[in-house]
Amino acid sequence: MTDGGRQADGGPKRRMWTWLFNPFHYLAGGPALGIGVVAIAAAGLVGAASRSHFDGVLDFHSGLAVPLWVYLVEGFVDWLASGILLLAAGKLVSRTHVRALDVFGTQALARAPMLLTAVAALLPGFQRVTDELARAILRGGALWPLDVGAQDVVVFALVLLVTLMMLVWMVALMYRAYAVSCNVTGARAVISFIVALLLAEAASKAALIPILKAVAPAP
Amino acid sequence: MLNKAMPSTCPSCRQDLTVVRLRCGGCGTSVEGEFALPILARLEGEEQLLAVNFLKASGSLKELARQYGVSYPTVRNRLDALIDRLSSLGKSSAETEEPQP
Repeated sequence: MTDGGRQADGGPKRRMWTWLFNPFHYLAGGPALGIGVVAIAAAGLVGAASRSHFDGVLDFHSGLAVPLWVYLVEGFVDWLASGILLLAAGKLVSRTHVRALDVFGTQALARAPMLLTAVAALLPGFQRVTDELARAILRGGALWPLDVGAQDVVVFALVLLVTLMMLVWMVALMYRAYAVSCNVTGARAVISFIVALLLAEAASKAALIPILKAVAPAP
Repeated sequence: MLNKAMPSTCPSCRQDLTVVRLRCGGCGTSVEGEFALPILARLEGEEQLLAVNFLKASGSLKELARQYGVSYPTVRNRLDALIDRLSSLGKSSAETEEPQP
């Protein structure tokens, strides 16, 4: 159902589905905020180990080594950008009272899949291919063939696939978080969500690019 | 005794049903006429239960969310849907009560 809440009182299968794609049916406000903030911080810490950057609400890049605080700031800037823009969109289009705590809490929890992306990026095969790609780009030569094993290429492809799946999952969660916390449905919900998400992406990039440029080591 | 759910709309044409006969359980006296169902009686069973639980919780959505085991916005959204339903029932009652020219 799409009423932003009236669902999931079914069997265990339905309940599991709801926990995966609409946990906000059960969790919002303070508890969602607590879990979400821990997940964002954990993604930043694991990201520092795997050199994973979430340098935009919808971005994932790997390779550049920067100080630990930058990885943490990236996650929180992404969360704040999406929270602020989706709260504004919700206030504009919703007919009900929208609590900022619910919007920020559910949006924080919606970013949890990024933790799994950062963990997947720890795989050595992925790291070797990323390093080789970075070297090839810096040399200005051809990107292929790379000096890596076939196994590494397979691992790299699998991590990219996992990353794509996690990104789709995160966007689905962000939409459900918005629909539940602002009680919006239908075309009005979809259009306002897309507009707010694109603005949040642009805002987060505008905030993070200067930071990354300032801390990036000289080539 | 079987606890039957009282229908509020006609199963054939979906129009609102009215009460035409009331009977005293004590002495068996019956009163006949045409009485409109109270607005709360025209809600679905689940909606009636939500309205009752909301009152029992003194209007606390937090308490209601705890009782239902769902989040605060989920229960607030259900309440918003109930308010919309009451509004539309109120409108349809007002329309049927308007004197015909």
